[in-house]
Amino acid sequence: MFDDLLHIFYPREYTLGNGKVVKEKFNPAPYITIAVIIVTVYFINFTGLSLTKLVNRFHFFFEMLGQMFPPRWAFWAEMKKAMWDTIVMSFLGTAFGCLLALPLSFYLSNNFKLPNWYLKGHKAVLSIFRTLPTLIYARLLSIIIGAGTLSGTISIAIFTYTIAVKMMYEQIETIDMGPYEAMESTGATRMQCITCAAFPQVRGFYWSTVLYCFETNVRSAAILGYVGAGGIGVLMNAQLSWRNYDNAGLMVLVLVITVVVIETISREIRKKLIQG
Amino acid sequence: MTQNKITVDGQYRKYPPLWPRYVIEAIGCAVILYLTNDIVSFNGINERGAAMAKVVLLGLLKPSLAVILDTSSVGLAYMLMETLAIAFLGTIFGLILALPLAFLSSRNVAPRWVNYICLTIISIIRAFPSFMYAIMFVKVVGTGPFAGVLTMSIGSVGMLAKLMIESIEDMNPGIIEALDAAGCSPFEKIRYGIIPQLSSNIVSTVIYRLDINVKNATILGVVGAGGIGASLIHAIGQGNWPNTSAMLLGLIVMVLLLENFSTRIRKKLAMGE
Repeated sequence: MFDDLLHIFYPREYTLGNGKVVKEKFNPAPYITIAVIIVTVYFINFTGLSLTKLVNRFHFFFEMLGQMFPPRWAFWAEMKKAMWDTIVMSFLGTAFGCLLALPLSFYLSNNFKLPNWYLKGHKAVLSIFRTLPTLIYARLLSIIIGAGTLSGTISIAIFTYTIAVKMMYEQIETIDMGPYEAMESTGATRMQCITCAAFPQVRGFYWSTVLYCFETNVRSAAILGYVGAGGIGVLMNAQLSWRNYDNAGLMVLVLVITVVVIETISREIRKKLIQG
Repeated sequence: MTQNKITVDGQYRKYPPLWPRYVIEAIGCAVILYLTNDIVSFNGINERGAAMAKVVLLGLLKPSLAVILDTSSVGLAYMLMETLAIAFLGTIFGLILALPLAFLSSRNVAPRWVNYICLTIISIIRAFPSFMYAIMFVKVVGTGPFAGVLTMSIGSVGMLAKLMIESIEDMNPGIIEALDAAGCSPFEKIRYGIIPQLSSNIVSTVIYRLDINVKNATILGVVGAGGIGASLIHAIGQGNWPNTSAMLLGLIVMVLLLENFSTRIRKKLAMGE
């Protein structure tokens, strides 16, 4: 039994009839598990987690929920503009970001014969911009062009642009180049080849990317108001700091309903788009 | 015979008419223009804005070495470590919460009514935006990384569970039946029949989620739930561009390294290594 347990850590050896020694394949899983446990324990000490604190104070969670629900419905009149702003911000950001992403993603796919070193460099620059969340762009832009929905829209557009380009060029690299080459051989221009032979192959994927970006942007747009980029976050921040939890409750409710409705619709459409 | 002859002109006429597409495009453009006009009050980048942009961009080119080399609790290394710790622990605890939910909502493991209950729980958890959890947990355990870890754990449950349900439902029951026929004990069935089928998918999902969590961990700082976000937003607000630049640099390097690591491992796992 003990021997069996030890064999978790090093491979068994078998001696065959002809005297040959066969080793089991080395399995790194137990070492990785131990490493993960050590890192977890270290990080738990590092961040000061304590279960007793959580258990002792967890009633605050439900207390706050109790203060939020039922929400104060009268607040709807004040918040509907902010909610609409949030949705429009993410809609416009998605529209502009995806529109600009389309030409660049064709430009960056490696099947259109641009030099490889150039593509790698350009993609690396894009991936640097991709690491920053919308919030950071929003904070920087709200200082440069002033607080308001414009900075929110532009920051959403930048973020959408970076992720949409990546999703698109990865898809474009998998298309069938046969129609493209056929058109090229008939003397069509590169633009005609791309619009008539390459783009139709990724049209469904493109629209599904647009919808996916819209979904995620509506989710993330709500927080942008915290850094002064317009939308519902401004109101949320104010109401929470004045401890008007019933107003905040209404905002959360409306936000959740909006997100769920948009997600459901977009998922249905995307399912249809992918199936063709 | 002559009617069936394929001509270029004939094929061209068979092409569906283009006007519906043009109408849709025109409506789309009109909506976008109307909304832009409705919401965005753009009165040109004034001189102050242009000067500001210049200051910001020039400032961002000179990262502050003092912050990068600082090893105390306000230094870059400590803050990045805290961000990583929040994301890591959030992913681990999220996995612990998601595993039972995922198994109970898989059709081939639990009965139908249990599936529905667990799927409803998952969608309710998913519906709330994660910064709401952050605000609430900050109220519960106070500001700091603890609230961040709790937020990340709850925020990860939805995606982890959804992806795990897919791989659990895709499991091949034949292998377990074969082990049964060979007379294996329940423990052996789990060890040799279920774990090898699921482990690579689950590990790949978890690493992917860790990647996402590190990116999202910046947002937590805004509501006081720890990580590099608070200091970063604060530095931008103060106009302290060298510090901002140093922190952005650290964040970019960490996220890029992690992304690279995650893609490599996931590629290996997908190849069946």
